[in-house]
Amino acid sequence: MPPSPRAMPPAVRAIGLVSTVCGVAASLMILASVLITCQMIFVRAVLGRSTVWQTEVVIYLMIGATLIGLPYVQKLRGHVGVDLLPTLLPPRFRRALAGVTLAVTAAMMLVMLWYGWEMWHLAWVRGWKSETVVAAPLWIPWLFVPLGFGLFVLQLAADLWLTMTGAPMDEKGLPAIGPEPAEEF
Amino acid sequence: MDPLLLGGLVAVATVLVLFSGVPVAVGLLIVSTVFLFVFDGPRSLQALPELFYGDLNSFALLSIPMFIIMGSAIASTRAGPDLYEALERWLTRVPGGLVVSNLGACALFAAMSGSSPATCAAIGKMGIPEMRKRGYPDEVAAGSIAAGGTLGILIPPSVTMIVYGIATETSIGRLFLAGVLPGILLVSLFIAWAIYDTWRRGAAGVALSGVRYTWKQRFEILPRVVPFLVIIAGVLYALYGGIATPSETAAVGALLCIIVAVVVYRMFQFDALWTVLRDSTRESVMILFIIGAAGVFSFMLSSLFVTQSIAGWIADLDVNRWVLMAIVNLFLLVAGFFLPPVAVILMSAPILLPIILSAGFDPYWFAVIVTINMEIGLITPPVGLNLYVINGIAPDISLKKILVGSFPFVLCMIVAIVILSVFPGIVTWLPDVVMGPEM
Repeated sequence: MPPSPRAMPPAVRAIGLVSTVCGVAASLMILASVLITCQMIFVRAVLGRSTVWQTEVVIYLMIGATLIGLPYVQKLRGHVGVDLLPTLLPPRFRRALAGVTLAVTAAMMLVMLWYGWEMWHLAWVRGWKSETVVAAPLWIPWLFVPLGFGLFVLQLAADLWLTMTGAPMDEKGLPAIGPEPAEEF
Repeated sequence: MDPLLLGGLVAVATVLVLFSGVPVAVGLLIVSTVFLFVFDGPRSLQALPELFYGDLNSFALLSIPMFIIMGSAIASTRAGPDLYEALERWLTRVPGGLVVSNLGACALFAAMSGSSPATCAAIGKMGIPEMRKRGYPDEVAAGSIAAGGTLGILIPPSVTMIVYGIATETSIGRLFLAGVLPGILLVSLFIAWAIYDTWRRGAAGVALSGVRYTWKQRFEILPRVVPFLVIIAGVLYALYGGIATPSETAAVGALLCIIVAVVVYRMFQFDALWTVLRDSTRESVMILFIIGAAGVFSFMLSSLFVTQSIAGWIADLDVNRWVLMAIVNLFLLVAGFFLPPVAVILMSAPILLPIILSAGFDPYWFAVIVTINMEIGLITPPVGLNLYVINGIAPDISLKKILVGSFPFVLCMIVAIVILSVFPGIVTWLPDVVMGPEM
């Protein structure tokens, strides 16, 4: 059984909620890129006009969806890995290994967050623009990099807290999630 | 340090890190970061987010979530069982018709949904009980569906092929076409084995007799299966006709599939649509994350001269190209035992492709060989996802029986690899005819 929401501290619950909001945002961004691409084809093929902004916006939406989606996919346990070793270990070691991998993952994402922040800050301060007709300010798409990795770190920290405090775990040693993640909707 | 030795170190480190159970994308980032930090200095880490971002900065990548949405929308409907029933009603007079319609339904549904486990679940739920009821042995019933499900990554449209195309900068349209005839070859081998195995187990009499259906029954099911087939055909036609890029056609296909799911299958509830969108987002983000990380990984390999040295070293070894291909196959097979197809392709493509090309192999032919290897991984332990899906939908068939039933199909796939090696034209003929010879 997954931990009942009441047993979790408010911070862990809040992070889970933020991750879900991120997931909805990422889904909407993907849906928006479906619609924008279709609109682009319509404008070009049916109206016979040239299109300017669509391709670039769709690319930014995809990058945004990927990065903003990271914490939600973590929450759904959707990031695939080789889970042979964790499933073979006895429960105690499995939990310890999950703790280590979560901590290492969070450390790696902190590195990405740090340099991602530098990259974004540079674009912001110097006012860089994309080299296209749109000349979009690059700080907008680049913002997704520190934001996505930062939110990912939060969700990892929440999972790490659950692992360390002995919350029920799944066969990979990660904190168990509900049987149907959609239930919260 | 000698780049070749460094390459060996990277390989060992990657295996160790990945086996700890960290997500594949994170594992690739960790290995890349550590090696860049140690051998290229701390300053090189500044490029990490830019490399990651740069690899996602491509319109071609849009085709991945779009094809995933198409598959997910189709899989959320009753299209699978409908397709199975339609084929069953139409093929009932064919000897071994039930196996043929099961594997045919697997091939078609796998092509539409592009997902192996979804195919096993959709066709298997109807197909396995029906086959057992008519006297087919459990092994044949379970094995044929497990194997049939793997066809999704070979028969177009296939997300695995798209990822290969992006990783190797080859034409996605050509890759799709390259998968068609080998897909038919595999289905034929599967059907031949399933019928032979049924006969061998002494169930031929029961299995080969069909149930009769009226023409009315045959026609009434068509309106439910035709729409999706038309969309897929339309998407592929637009792709090969050069009317639009894969990303654009896939976006239109995704929208149409959602509309058909709502209109034909009456999927009006918000919940059902959200499930489609959520599952697509989960799958897409997972793959795109690996793509970004694999980009960083391949930058690390080439900036430390590992890629170039390995390619040079292999060329100097001067081994027979088929010995080389056998070794590559073995590597892919083992990697496929542990990792999902997309991850294997993204990690190994930057190293393997230069080697394959310099040995004079065709990149499209190689794509098909890689994909069949990945298919084998889907029905072999320890991560053979299809086996567990079958176990889930038919819990009274033991995992051992499923394994015994699936193993001959693995041999069929190995036979297919040998056939394609002897007759590479089976892969390259269709793309050459439709799109003209490659430049």
